[in-house]
Amino acid sequence: MNFGFTGDQLALGATVRDVLRAHCPPAALRTERRPAWKQLAGLGFFGLLLPAGSGGLGLSLADALPALEETGRACLPGPVVETAVAAAYLQAGLPGLASGAVCVSVLPPGQAYAPDADLADLLVVARAGGWHLVRKESVRLAARPGVDPCRPLFEVGFDVSEDLGGAVEPALLGATVATAAQLIGVARELLAVTVAYARARTQFGVAVGSFQAVKHQLADVAVAVEFAAPLVHRAALSVGGPLWGPEDGPVSRPVRGLEDGPVSRPVRGPAGGPEDGPVSRPVGEPAAGPVSGQARGPLPSAGRDVSAAKAAAGEAAVRAARVALQVHGAIGYTEELDLRFWLARAWSLSTAYGTAAAHRERLRAAILNGGPGRYP
Amino acid sequence: MDLDFSPAERDFRAEVRDWLRAHVPEPLPSMDTAEGFAAHRAWEALLAGARLSVVSWPEHYGGRGASLIEWLIFEEEYWAAGAPARVTQNGIFLLAPSLMKFGTSEQRDRWLPRMARGDDVWAQAWSEPEAGSDLAALASRAEPAPGGHRLYGHKTWSSRAAHATHGFGLFRTSGTRHHGLTYVMFPMDDVAVRPIAQLDGLPGFAELHFDGVFVPESMVVGEPGDGWRIAMATTSSERGLTLRSPGRFLATADRLIALARDAGPALADLAARCWVDAEAYRLHTYATARRLMTGEELGPEASMGKVFWSELDLRMHNLAMELLGDRAGDTPWLDGFLFALAGPIYAGTNEIQRTIIAERVLGLPRAGVRR
Repeated sequence: MNFGFTGDQLALGATVRDVLRAHCPPAALRTERRPAWKQLAGLGFFGLLLPAGSGGLGLSLADALPALEETGRACLPGPVVETAVAAAYLQAGLPGLASGAVCVSVLPPGQAYAPDADLADLLVVARAGGWHLVRKESVRLAARPGVDPCRPLFEVGFDVSEDLGGAVEPALLGATVATAAQLIGVARELLAVTVAYARARTQFGVAVGSFQAVKHQLADVAVAVEFAAPLVHRAALSVGGPLWGPEDGPVSRPVRGLEDGPVSRPVRGPAGGPEDGPVSRPVGEPAAGPVSGQARGPLPSAGRDVSAAKAAAGEAAVRAARVALQVHGAIGYTEELDLRFWLARAWSLSTAYGTAAAHRERLRAAILNGGPGRYP
Repeated sequence: MDLDFSPAERDFRAEVRDWLRAHVPEPLPSMDTAEGFAAHRAWEALLAGARLSVVSWPEHYGGRGASLIEWLIFEEEYWAAGAPARVTQNGIFLLAPSLMKFGTSEQRDRWLPRMARGDDVWAQAWSEPEAGSDLAALASRAEPAPGGHRLYGHKTWSSRAAHATHGFGLFRTSGTRHHGLTYVMFPMDDVAVRPIAQLDGLPGFAELHFDGVFVPESMVVGEPGDGWRIAMATTSSERGLTLRSPGRFLATADRLIALARDAGPALADLAARCWVDAEAYRLHTYATARRLMTGEELGPEASMGKVFWSELDLRMHNLAMELLGDRAGDTPWLDGFLFALAGPIYAGTNEIQRTIIAERVLGLPRAGVRR
């Protein structure tokens, strides 16, 4: 029992934080689609979860959690979770993934639109009970209005795709946990910015943060974040790292509880698609490189633990956004204050990969119907 | 980072579980009745005989030198087994940590083994009629007398004091507010005790009147005048993981799930939410235990835990009352509900805790401080 991040895990988070402070300042959120992506790629960020044979570091999801939280804290735009986490579970051998040259978007089940799909070289789409891999040149996108200016949404159409089978489920769990980690980062930043504002802003001759009505709202945000975070950490351990077969191919594991999708089955060879697209190697084709083992795949409780994490993190972030806006008052209700980006990120990510209500419903079913035991 | 119990931890859990399975009695009468008090003391003696009453204490005081993680495992098994509430808890969880940290070796040798066996049962005497949340407003005095002090004043809402053998509290020896307070232990023999019935009608509280009760120097914990600092160390552990470990709430959550199994989706959803929150408290506590085991100290962030567990406990019992309606009194849930109502009040009200979180964890300015 050693439930806390190691020095290495925290150091990775601190490194990512420094890079994002330097290269993803709030001003960049107004002008760039993918600020700091190049610098993050230089750090190996997009290969954290990839096996060494694919140019990655072979880390587990739990190892990467502090770094992922930092991407939320910085409100980093772009399909970070999809490219750095979901793709690592799905397409470990994809050339260009570790270097950040390939960008991935995901349209999960239950959602209508894919975020940042215009940036994506590959789209993973849940549709009609199946999973499809769609390449950039086969996709038709139509922009849709959304709540988050830095996370634009697109309606996705396609005629040509490859069948991914059920191998997507661990990726979906991993992406959901990573999104929950980002939500924790968003909530922490909203709390920190709002505390700083409440200390500086004076009314009636005193800092507004000296008023108990303000203090207690901020205390409640602190409590919500404090007790959501360990659920996210536990979920990362429940999901485990990406599993790679003997040749770095993804290994499918049946996962119950997250969605009612198709029965898992291993990825087979290519199911169509152009020969000369941005992806030079078809899905499932062996990549060169040494065997890279991860400890294990998802535990039986993974679906439930992931839902607990996502619901709690989403609710904490939404509460943090609500209190942040209220404590800022009118200035918080403006487009020109940077706060708006974090508010929007809390709102957009809280519904990504399942709304809190959807996850609460899964939890109800999993817990009241005698699901798997506690972990640990 | 991992969440795996070591083989030694798993063995310890198995031993505790087996022992409890063989020894946990049918529900005892309330510890706030004379009969129930005696029965709870006898249970403590039985626990102590198996060296399970204070597992985290050093062996020579009756413990096993168990790690914090093992203590949390003990608590999970204890509450899951439906074992009796701890009549000794004010002593073992509040006074004992202060004695371990600030007491003399003579005090520890004299009092801790007796406390571990339930020979002495300690009541906490903090509050006074005019000093509740504002503890530093207390007015009871300890006046120097040859060989010790004489105690004067009036304490109230003192839990367990109707039946306890001993008490501990703060008494003023000099100064004002936080300065000049002294941490004193006293036998109840010469204290005038007026039992106060709680919401359940039983005397869980008492009022204590001191009219020159003599206590020798050996009953002062730490230096005279240093009582506030020592008491704050105690309240930190009270708010933190020692008083209300996750095991109690995990057990309540499991029973709530069983109760809500046939409920409609609205109440079932609330039950599932409580179950997850009990998990969150458990995981958070494992992380806190890891910090403490690597030498960190518990600071004002303990207030976050107090707000969380007390409001979780109340939500769980409110829901049980909803689910049971007028049948609640046929079950232990009614007593549990009344007890849960006290959670946001004792050990520092949750309003005080939220102010502590805002000021000392988040760094917001204190009220009335002009910039």
